Amino acid sequence: MSLLTILHVASEEVVLDSKGHVTTHSWIFPEQAELIYGVIASCLIFAALIKFAGPQIKKAMAARTARIQKELDSAAQDKASASQEAAGIRQAKGDIGAERARILADADSQAASVLAEGRARLATELSELEARAQAEMAASANRVGDELRAEVARLSIAAVDHVVTGTLDAATQQELIENFISRVGAAR
Amino acid sequence: MNDQRIDGYARALFEIARAEGTIDTVEDELFRFARAFEGNDALRNALTDEGIPAARRQTIIEDLLGGKANNTSAQLISMLVGSGHVSELPAIIDRVVARASGAKNLEVAEVRTAVALTSDQEARLAAALTKATGKSINLKVVVDPSVIGGVVATIGDTVIDGTVRSRIEQLKSRL
Repeated sequence: MSLLTILHVASEEVVLDSKGHVTTHSWIFPEQAELIYGVIASCLIFAALIKFAGPQIKKAMAARTARIQKELDSAAQDKASASQEAAGIRQAKGDIGAERARILADADSQAASVLAEGRARLATELSELEARAQAEMAASANRVGDELRAEVARLSIAAVDHVVTGTLDAATQQELIENFISRVGAAR
Repeated sequence: MNDQRIDGYARALFEIARAEGTIDTVEDELFRFARAFEGNDALRNALTDEGIPAARRQTIIEDLLGGKANNTSAQLISMLVGSGHVSELPAIIDRVVARASGAKNLEVAEVRTAVALTSDQEARLAAALTKATGKSINLKVVVDPSVIGGVVATIGDTVIDGTVRSRIEQLKSRL
């Protein structure tokens, strides 16, 4: 009980019951004086609160507002960052697709190049092998031809002496001598 | 034997034959013997064998030529065998023949044939060679079966080859 209430109670007419207990005129409403003092005290308290605590409260509220605003700004910034990051991810995803397509295109190009190069090399090797085979065949044919000619020549040489000697009879010998004499005599 | 000594022996043989008055016969017989010496391995080996005494080799000469050749020819060859210069016999005899031909202003023509020539053929061949070379020819015919057929004539450095052997060699070369 406040000091004013105590003073009011002291100045009020106290009504005591038979047992000496203090009683009020209403079981729910306070006494008039108590109401007046209470209202005044409350007003004083509110005034004091407004005067002394108001700025603090206002400041706290402003700070709270600023903090909330700051949190809102931060959230908005986070949202923007997240959106930006999402855009980056989406872009990266798109870049990955493009890179994948580029890599696939490069791979296809390289595969086609390797295939064409391989075919060209195979064609060259094939033509070289064919040329070499033909050269070897020609060389073999020439070698066989040379060997055959050499064999024919060897046989011919072996046969010449025998054939010529066998055909040189006395008449032929005399004819050769007469031809020589005629040729030498006609030389000058 | 050096060339000077060969020429010395040739000159000596020539002078002996000429002094004997048999130079024509002797130089012809010497020429034939030299060709036989070249072509017969057995004869050449027998006459050049230092293991056989010179007297024995001279006996071989006398056996070969005795009664078949002029005595001067046999003695001259025997002298060469006895002097130990038989290996130079062909060269010495060729010089003798050349010297004898030169004395008569003749050029030696060595003719090789596979078969012997008749006298008529020798005369016509000598005339043909004289016409061809413009020189008088002292014809020396050698029967050489290795020519196979035809004739080859050598006059100094000139060779006229019409032998079957050379034609066969050309054919073999082409083959």
